[in-house]
Amino acid sequence: MFRPSAVRCDRAYIMSRIFVTGVGFITSIGNDRDSVVQSLRELRHGMLRYPPFDKPEVPVKVAAPVRGFAVDSSDPEDWTYPADYRLKREVLRSLCPNALYAYCAMQQAIRDARLAEGEVSNEETGLYAASGGSPVILGRLLNQMSQQGVMRCPPLGIVASIAGTVQFNLVAHFKIKGASCGFSSACASSSHALGFAFDDLKLGRQKRMFVVGAEDGNVETILPFAGMRALSLNPDPETASRPFDVARDGFVGTGGATVLVLETEDEVLRRGVTPYCEVAGWGQASDGHNVAISHPEGHGLRLAMQRSLQSTRIAAADVDYVNAHATSTPIGDVSEVKALRAVFGPDLNRVAVSSTKALTGHGLSLAGAMESGFCALALREGFIPGSAHITRLDPECAGMNIPRETQSVAPHVVLNNSSGFGGANVCLVFRRA
Amino acid sequence: MILRPGSFCVYFRNPDNLLISLMSDAVPSIDPSPVRPEVPAKTFSPEDEVAMRESLKRCSAATVEAAVQFRRTRDPGVLPTIVLGVIERFVESELRPKLREGDDDLRLVEDLGVDSLTMMEIVMLVEEVLQMQTNNDELRNLRTVGDVKTFIDCKVRGLPLPKPTRFLPVEQVASIMPIQPPFLFINEAQIGSAGAQGKYKITGQEFFLQGHFKDNPVLPASIMLEALGQLAVLFLLEGSQAEPGKRVDPSRILFTSCEGVRCHRICRPGDTLSLSVRPRRVKMPLATFEGSIRVGQEKAAVAEEITLTFAYVDEVGGEFAPRESSAGSAARPRDVSGGQPPLGAASVAAS
Repeated sequence: MFRPSAVRCDRAYIMSRIFVTGVGFITSIGNDRDSVVQSLRELRHGMLRYPPFDKPEVPVKVAAPVRGFAVDSSDPEDWTYPADYRLKREVLRSLCPNALYAYCAMQQAIRDARLAEGEVSNEETGLYAASGGSPVILGRLLNQMSQQGVMRCPPLGIVASIAGTVQFNLVAHFKIKGASCGFSSACASSSHALGFAFDDLKLGRQKRMFVVGAEDGNVETILPFAGMRALSLNPDPETASRPFDVARDGFVGTGGATVLVLETEDEVLRRGVTPYCEVAGWGQASDGHNVAISHPEGHGLRLAMQRSLQSTRIAAADVDYVNAHATSTPIGDVSEVKALRAVFGPDLNRVAVSSTKALTGHGLSLAGAMESGFCALALREGFIPGSAHITRLDPECAGMNIPRETQSVAPHVVLNNSSGFGGANVCLVFRRA
Repeated sequence: MILRPGSFCVYFRNPDNLLISLMSDAVPSIDPSPVRPEVPAKTFSPEDEVAMRESLKRCSAATVEAAVQFRRTRDPGVLPTIVLGVIERFVESELRPKLREGDDDLRLVEDLGVDSLTMMEIVMLVEEVLQMQTNNDELRNLRTVGDVKTFIDCKVRGLPLPKPTRFLPVEQVASIMPIQPPFLFINEAQIGSAGAQGKYKITGQEFFLQGHFKDNPVLPASIMLEALGQLAVLFLLEGSQAEPGKRVDPSRILFTSCEGVRCHRICRPGDTLSLSVRPRRVKMPLATFEGSIRVGQEKAAVAEEITLTFAYVDEVGGEFAPRESSAGSAARPRDVSGGQPPLGAASVAAS
């Protein structure tokens, strides 16, 4: 008879703590850490009337594009990007816009974490990424194939366009030798990437992981959501994205990239760096409900939050701040509120809840990593980001602590929620280091 | 078929003042008279010109003008400018000066950092500009700038493609060569239609280094010349086009003369010689080559002319067994030459 008495586990691994030691941002609210902090503190949003939407047949008017990059040309050698970055043609030729953003954010994160070349490229350092690929480049490739013939397509069109393009490029160009993989759960993708990177570090498989989220954030990634009626038709950049407001009418699309460096405690001590925060743990669960609509009671997200707290042995009452997934859609925000009520019960009125998507817009595969980066900044810099653009709070949110302004209060424990298509839900837990 | 007598290097100057050696330089079997484009010339509309100028916008002005001229006139004379201009556009700027030296032996991968994907980009742009098509298997053998130029030239003129560059490891070199260790100074070789490249690493164990010089091993200049001569022998046996039904007889290749030999660098144990020979005239009974030796990027020696004598023998039904069956047998040349090994190409050269 099987007797499960001799289950062995290496306590050293399980006890090891995991830290965020570096961040890099190319976002609609800033292309470096300091400007992102400033935008979060001052609630400066990244929305504008997006010129490519300025057509009578496009009812969506607002987007939150990345600034400082001109990447619309079909020829990457025509692209312009901030002068701090210098990319060779052989690197550029296989990049899509979001891989370029990721490349730049990666350089920032490496510098921020004070990693030497050998600490980036070794067998103990891996990279997990999430991006929806590049529909614009895939579209061009397929057009070219049908119009000019199969042998006249750019040789690297595939690696520049399919989902996975970010890790293909970054792993090759930064000479990553450890684990590498892409994650695809739509708007939960880069939270999944971070969760599994945490697991690999916890299990002792790697000592350091780069976690990357990226999206093009252009016509081709944003407008397909219009048919789903998921985008805000509000033409005013000041109010188009307003999670938890009663008048919210959909999300505003954005792009960019965020890179986080995760390291084991041993590495943090060995290198003598000051981490942003600890990654305490994570949890996930699925709605099993609808391909594109979140469960009306937020079942999957509730379970994901509960599992993340169980795994970290943190009581719900000890959570100070939740960076909500809330994208500013009528159904999604309410479903998340219900999940929060189920998890926190009477404690919910003292947990600060905000959605930074009011500032950035919704970054799809980028969202989880970008908002984890914001949580890391909040924990180190000691602030709780406000939930911008709320004029009238949705009555569904009655009694909740949703700060309208950024508070100079240092949180100790922070949750970051993400939900993706198919009802995939991920909750990440961060703790002050 | 052999090289036409007098098919010396033809040079011309393009507007960038690049000295470019034309394809007909040392490429066997090119007869420039019948220009039979593979694809009949289509009309070249103003729209085509606009599109082509857009495709070539990162190339030099000379390249663009040469391409326009080619599309109007199908003049193969402008091909080298176009091909070099397209290659230059895909090479990182710091490596471009190398390309401007006009050395057809420049290797795409090792010297110019062109990987196989960049090669695809080069070929696709050339295809677009020249309105031609290539097959994947035709591209695999392009290793040097010279290979690319020759390949494009043959394609455009509708000529058969030259024998692809072949890589010969040491065992194969030894099985082909009439010269054997300890007097064989080629470790590996690459044979193309336009010449041969080889490598020889000075081990320090060479018998003559014991006395040359006392307590100071230096490769004799005569051995450098010998190594070039041996590479020329290898080219004659493996790279040159013989008359139909004939092949070069390995037992009858001998050194005749050399001109303009200059040594630039002392070569010692541990150095790897990069040898290169290019045929200038090959017509029985004489074959004249130019040769050079580098160690890394440093010039070690040049020979303006190395001339060998040679003779043909019938390919089939003659005194030779078919070549394939004797591959791998290092003793083959000795057996068929009546036990009298040839002296080797340049072994009588003065030091």
